[in-house]
Amino acid sequence: MKLFEQSFTATVAILTLVTPLHAQDYGNFENYTLRVKLIGGAQYEPLYTLIPEWEAATGARVDILSRKSHFELDREMKQDIAAGGVEYCVFSSHTNFAPQYAAMNQPLDGLVGQDVIAAFSPLVIDHATVDGKLVSLPRHSDVSNLFYVRSLYEDADNKARFKAQYGYDLMPPETWNQASDQAIFFADPPNRYGTHFAGKDEAITGRFYEMLVANGGKLFNDDWTAAFNGPEGQEALNWFTGLYQEKAVPAGTPNYVWDDLGLGFAAGNVAFDLDWAGWAGFFNSKDSNIRNDIGVVLAPKGSGGKRTGWSGSHSFSITQNCENKEAAASFITFLTSHEAQMIEARTGLLPTRTQVWDDIIAEFKDQDNDFMVEVFEVWGESMRDHAFTPPLIAEWGEVSNALWPQLQAAIVGDKSVEDALNDAAKEVNEIMEDAGYN
Amino acid sequence: MKRMRRYVRNNAVPLALLAPAVMIILVVVLLPLIFSFYTGFTNYRLIRPESLWDFIGLRNYARVLTDADFWAALWRTVLFLTVALNLEMLLGLCLALMVNRITWGQRTMRTIMMFPMMFSPILVGFQFKYMFNDTIGVVNNALQSLGLSQKAIPFLVDRWLAFGSIAFAEIWMSTSIFAILILAGLFAMPRDPIEAARVDGCTSWQVFRHITLPFLMPFIYIAMTIRSLDVARAYDIVDVMTGGGPAGRTELLWTLIARTAYDDARMGRANAMAYVSILLSIFFTWFFFRKLMAARQHLGAF
Repeated sequence: MKLFEQSFTATVAILTLVTPLHAQDYGNFENYTLRVKLIGGAQYEPLYTLIPEWEAATGARVDILSRKSHFELDREMKQDIAAGGVEYCVFSSHTNFAPQYAAMNQPLDGLVGQDVIAAFSPLVIDHATVDGKLVSLPRHSDVSNLFYVRSLYEDADNKARFKAQYGYDLMPPETWNQASDQAIFFADPPNRYGTHFAGKDEAITGRFYEMLVANGGKLFNDDWTAAFNGPEGQEALNWFTGLYQEKAVPAGTPNYVWDDLGLGFAAGNVAFDLDWAGWAGFFNSKDSNIRNDIGVVLAPKGSGGKRTGWSGSHSFSITQNCENKEAAASFITFLTSHEAQMIEARTGLLPTRTQVWDDIIAEFKDQDNDFMVEVFEVWGESMRDHAFTPPLIAEWGEVSNALWPQLQAAIVGDKSVEDALNDAAKEVNEIMEDAGYN
Repeated sequence: MKRMRRYVRNNAVPLALLAPAVMIILVVVLLPLIFSFYTGFTNYRLIRPESLWDFIGLRNYARVLTDADFWAALWRTVLFLTVALNLEMLLGLCLALMVNRITWGQRTMRTIMMFPMMFSPILVGFQFKYMFNDTIGVVNNALQSLGLSQKAIPFLVDRWLAFGSIAFAEIWMSTSIFAILILAGLFAMPRDPIEAARVDGCTSWQVFRHITLPFLMPFIYIAMTIRSLDVARAYDIVDVMTGGGPAGRTELLWTLIARTAYDDARMGRANAMAYVSILLSIFFTWFFFRKLMAARQHLGAF
């Protein structure tokens, strides 16, 4: 019976693989050249191997004008807007940065069918909607949850010592206060640290922001003045500064971004790591020192009882200048189709279509890949119930750039938490005032 | 007016031949300069093209000139320039003098010496970022393995270590510019004065101090001028290694300006910063040019 099940599964998998992606009608755009600017990088490229299939199905040709990292592409598109040179149809966007491209965003309502939109997770579609208009079609999402080294948590000696020291059982943390205790408990520098966090750029702003929300705070008041320098914000920043001062995180943390965190955790240098699902495969690969020793749990809760869940989705948008919006809509529908998302999901990227969540979990179950099943179950719950974006305003990047140097100043001890947040608030208020919010 | 007409008539052919080049320079260099200078007086934001016409007078300049972060970045850039240029010059001079004494394999050495210059600054930045990483970096691991340190040294976080780390990367990449230019000077140097000095009983140090070095000074000042313009615009290495942080500890002018211009999309304010910082480049160019002239005069070139 088991053999039959395996054979049946394999047949279905093969059929799925060989079923042409253009089985759906993507239209006919014979001899049309669709000009696009796409995000580049190892995790984004496999999807583009499908483009020839869309070309074969529609008769159109895709001309990729640019294939750069998110931040390089962001600069390039801002320059295009400034120069009035948006002479392409499709561009890679991100839900959190989409409001910046208001001058070029073409609302997708009416261009992409309601049946297509209905197949996406409602929360993700909500994140891609700016001022009531859907401006991009999400391809995959990001949200962070906790990876931890299982053996450290299962070790009897660790359990006994932790209980004696903190008065409660050693379990993967349910709250960020517990996470703080455990980070300090596991720290043994320079051999091992309790945890680490992204310490610069938008990365630390995002981490602070989600902690602020989890503590019951908010970034802005209703009149768009800064609200993050209140008690919830101070509590959030104290979490980071406390761990840094206790040496529970590496001394280089204020200079870390995602690669440093991923490589550090895979090297076995930290006990737990709040990170993106895209790292799961690498953490459990032969290049990792903690292979087969990783557990995953939902991101802990802040003092407000809410879990952290700073999120956003990489997406595709259409430009207002596009002369063939139907072809562009067909292209982005194709690149976010069920089959296309399955390709990305197999590498650990979080799908945006509801059905893909079920199908990818079923596929990993069939492969007896319990770790990836657990990853998708945890991250699925997180995306469904706990994910939230920063305020969808064009000034998010600017606000972030005002915040993170001040957060760093508090973490490395150049300023008190209160002063750092007040200085950031002053700067943010000036930005919002200049932008005409108040 | 008559004289002007006569001048044009007498030089019609050369003027006509020069005209395309002048036009290209006007379009390619002067127009963007005028445009960027104008935007410094506007609230120009890249993502709001209509803001190009939002004239705000001197507000950007007033904010820039009263911005402590800007002045801190400017003085840090001056310090960075001073440290990087002097160390590059000293190391480049040593390298050139050593290579000049090699009698076998000198060409190969000259080629090898130029390798660091061939790397993109972004790659150099990543290379040193990972080397200086406190947990997985080779430098910390080596120091701990050799028993020279018991803790992870935060090379990219500590105020002076971070400054030293980015200066190290910059110096590693560009010392060979000095070495090559100084080596060219050594090749061009006449042997007679050195031989005469030796006959007169001068020591090696006296020969170097009073004959070789004065002859090399024009080459050194040319290298200094070129590199001062480069270093004043240092961006890629710093951006990759520290992003100007933490807490602005390694913020240089161009990391600040680029972030303001592109990430914040505030091109008007960024251009105001750029025009203030251009004064720095003009000062260093003027300074080294004067030194160059003085050195050449010293050699009797004029």
